[in-house]
Amino acid sequence: MIGPRARRVVLPLGVFVGLVLVWEAAVIMLGVSPIVLPPPSGVAATMARTAGPIAFHAWHTLLTTLLGFASAVVLGLLLGFAIGGSAVVNDAVYPLLVGFNSIPKAAVVPLLVMWFGIGTVPAVLTAFLLAFFPVAVNVAVGLATLETELRDVLRSLGASRWQVFRKVGVPRTMPLFFASLKVAVSSAFVGSVISETVASNAGIGYLMAVAASDFNTRLAFGGLAVLAAMGVLLYGIFAVIERRMTAWAYAE
Amino acid sequence: MNDPHCARGVPAVTLRDVGYAYVGAGGVTEALAGVSLEIHRGGTVAFVGPSGCGKSTLLKLISGLLNATAGTIAVDGQPVHGPLRNVGMAFQNPVLLPWRTVLDNVLLPLEILRENGDPRAPASDLWRDRAVALLAVVGLKGAERRQPRELSGGMRQRVSLCRALIHQPALLLLDEPFAALDAFTREEMWALYQRLRAEREFTGVLVTHDLREAIFLADTIYVLASHPGRVAHTNRVTLPRPRALAQLYGAEGSELMRIMREQIRPGLESAS
Repeated sequence: MIGPRARRVVLPLGVFVGLVLVWEAAVIMLGVSPIVLPPPSGVAATMARTAGPIAFHAWHTLLTTLLGFASAVVLGLLLGFAIGGSAVVNDAVYPLLVGFNSIPKAAVVPLLVMWFGIGTVPAVLTAFLLAFFPVAVNVAVGLATLETELRDVLRSLGASRWQVFRKVGVPRTMPLFFASLKVAVSSAFVGSVISETVASNAGIGYLMAVAASDFNTRLAFGGLAVLAAMGVLLYGIFAVIERRMTAWAYAE
Repeated sequence: MNDPHCARGVPAVTLRDVGYAYVGAGGVTEALAGVSLEIHRGGTVAFVGPSGCGKSTLLKLISGLLNATAGTIAVDGQPVHGPLRNVGMAFQNPVLLPWRTVLDNVLLPLEILRENGDPRAPASDLWRDRAVALLAVVGLKGAERRQPRELSGGMRQRVSLCRALIHQPALLLLDEPFAALDAFTREEMWALYQRLRAEREFTGVLVTHDLREAIFLADTIYVLASHPGRVAHTNRVTLPRPRALAQLYGAEGSELMRIMREQIRPGLESAS
């Protein structure tokens, strides 16, 4: 028997390997054309052969994502602080924010391309637009749900609003903030790839668009595999950071 | 000694015809009206009464967290217009900061006072000793480095009391501080309060639902009535100090209990 921790790693890994094997076997046995669905072995071979270009485009996508993500974190924090700290700002801005967030961001890409041309800028901006909302909302909620008793304790010491914010508001918002980072980084990743697919000359999204137009299904699947790996990695890194930074919020 | 604020004759807290009204969904609500009373320095008073009689509002008015809409409130002879600084507060919910150790939770008020240049903040090398000594008084010796989540409800409430007292406030305001504790822990906390009161100089104002608690801790018990909240009865507790739990069930304690029950819910006592 294996422990519950090992099981949580071994089980999904086993299912993954099993699916890949079924895929490989099905493609061979059913005689599926590789243009429709290449076998995993073929995808792997293509990936190995084009490792250099894939790495270049992956790096580009990563930078684009992180740039959009970083600006989303900064603006999301500021916006979240403003909304969570002031009922007036909340009433004025929050409905607009929700409305804006309900726009499918892919629809904004053509506008961004019109303004900034094809390339990295629209991709960074799309990443940013998708990522700032979860950060802003989580930070705002963390601040707005401060216990009134705690506020009273501090104010009866003569603490200013700024002191209440710094001593209590910010620290107690941190678990929500770090939780939002893993959501935001995934959103930023989605944003940059969408934009790259539509209008770019670099990045995995671009690579896949080109591969698709060449009917290079193997390379398209290779790009997909790289995206999956990058997505999991980015999420995982921020999940670990979250655990590390706010251990006090995860008491058993 | 010429400082009028230190004079024994000036009450710690004076309320003159105090009222508080607020505008809510149903129009203007009068939460409190015509409250006049004096709280003597070093004494402890308790406010009891039915829910919604404005007990907690009264505490917020005294601390300056709310501004009275009628009448005047003075603390140490000075009118209250905004949040006071010489107040310690504790609530039913201990609201400790979960990311800080017990010690750092207790030190929070001193950090605020120092940042604000308050002369009552001691030099920071004395902080630790002062906090450790206070924690020892409430029976938390050795718990300084522990996290709030590791503590029982009673222990958290002790920490909360330490945080309320670390800056040696003139006024300690307690809003149902022991209501969430089990009966035995609550009685331990009463004894603890009595010990703190004997060791430190502060004026205590207690809001409670628990008549026994009020009798055990207070010198004067104000029974409030609602709609609008007002002082309906004033009861002096003359039990000698230090008090013992047995006194609550003695002749004076029992009689006081009976009287107050009658004051809060007229007819209920005689019917049963």
